[in-house]
Amino acid sequence: MNIAICHLSQNYRLPDGSRIQALNDLNLKLQHNSFHVLVGKSGCGKTTLLRLLAGLETPKHGSIEGLQPAQRRGIMFQTPRLLPWLTVWDNICFWRHGCGGSEEKARQYLKAFGLERFKNAYPQQLSGGLAQRTALARTLASEPELLLLDEPFAALDYFTRRELQDELMQIFAAEPRTILFVTHDITEAARLGQMIHVMADGHILRSLANTAPYPRPALANRLALEQQIIALL
Amino acid sequence: MLRIVKTIALHGTLPLALLLFWQIGSTHFWWNAYILPPPADVAHTLIQLAASGQLTRHVAVSVLRVALGFFIAAGLALPLGILLGLSRPAGAFCRIALEFFRNVPPLALLPMLILWFGIGETSKLVIVILATFFPIFLNTLAAIARPNCALLELGRVFGLSRLAAFWHLRLPMAIPSIYTGLRIGLGYSWRSLIGAEMIAAAAGLGWLILDGEEMARPDVVLSGIFTIGALGLAADALLRLLGRRCRRFTGGE
Repeated sequence: MNIAICHLSQNYRLPDGSRIQALNDLNLKLQHNSFHVLVGKSGCGKTTLLRLLAGLETPKHGSIEGLQPAQRRGIMFQTPRLLPWLTVWDNICFWRHGCGGSEEKARQYLKAFGLERFKNAYPQQLSGGLAQRTALARTLASEPELLLLDEPFAALDYFTRRELQDELMQIFAAEPRTILFVTHDITEAARLGQMIHVMADGHILRSLANTAPYPRPALANRLALEQQIIALL
Repeated sequence: MLRIVKTIALHGTLPLALLLFWQIGSTHFWWNAYILPPPADVAHTLIQLAASGQLTRHVAVSVLRVALGFFIAAGLALPLGILLGLSRPAGAFCRIALEFFRNVPPLALLPMLILWFGIGETSKLVIVILATFFPIFLNTLAAIARPNCALLELGRVFGLSRLAAFWHLRLPMAIPSIYTGLRIGLGYSWRSLIGAEMIAAAAGLGWLILDGEEMARPDVVLSGIFTIGALGLAADALLRLLGRRCRRFTGGE
């Protein structure tokens, strides 16, 4: 089912009493089972939109249609947020305590992300890339129909980021689902997205399409698309 | 092998040096033997006390008081700390009363406690409970009331029930702080008990020390002090074993 976001506004009160407008009459359509990227400068409201879609906040004005409360949503953050007292495997199986997931999928992603060797390791023993892979596996093992990713690869080095982008595209190609991927990295946005929504000042400036099939090579020429995004921002 | 030798050298050098200084000072009469009896005398008294069964009796009495008081205090402080940590209104309701009692040293209450509970076991038990309760309670309360919000959000992301979020997120997050509270609490319970035994008791290590003072036997006093120190070391080693299991509950993102 498509998701339609209509006239969404959200503001926050700052400690000094003034208000900050995070989202400003935002309209956006997310087609079912397609890969959406939200790109914009920091502070433009990307994370707020993601948190609203995840149900971590409730909108003050406007509506989000096509999203049932019971519908499974997975969200992943810029930091892995792994639980330090659980092993990699138990972190990936965290859905057990919540709304459910699948052990088979957990095993599948453990393997796909090369985490089998680290199954019984604790998060403190992992590198940044492995920790973020564990977090992604944990999110995917809960079988979300809507996958929300908040700058998940922003803190990683170039090579690890490229690998994780490859792995994410493979997963999307094998099992399509609605993905909303937030980033401020224009190269990443142009490489990953089927629809690239350029965002500024709390609303969408324009949505650009990239119809190239997956998997997409890391060093392909997407200069025109990147320039278009930069011109909008 | 080399590592074991190194560990022993690192940990044992200072105590050994102090013992040596004590011995040398005693043999050269740097101080009067009444002010500080030589180590051999103290060791002799310690062995005598142990052989006569006196020491065992006093240790047993004190350890039992501490153990009972500690477990009762922990049994009250843990659930109460969790409850008040989870509920803001309940925390506010109890705050001033708790702050008041937290700042009163339990030994200051002893006259009242003797008046209420008599000079028997109960008043000493209450002293230990009062001294032990607050470090455990306050550490538990603080950890439960101020969780890591980023990790707590996972509960909502994965659709955990309130109970599951408490059991699988909030409580494990609080474990390191609770452990610190237990460790401080155990130290407090020892101190307060020895104090209480020195004021009003018929047995126990505190009483042994006081008796030694009244009989002008510094060797008995020192025997009591050594026993307390050794028991403290043993208790801390035990808790440290437990702490090793708590270590993995800490860790950043």
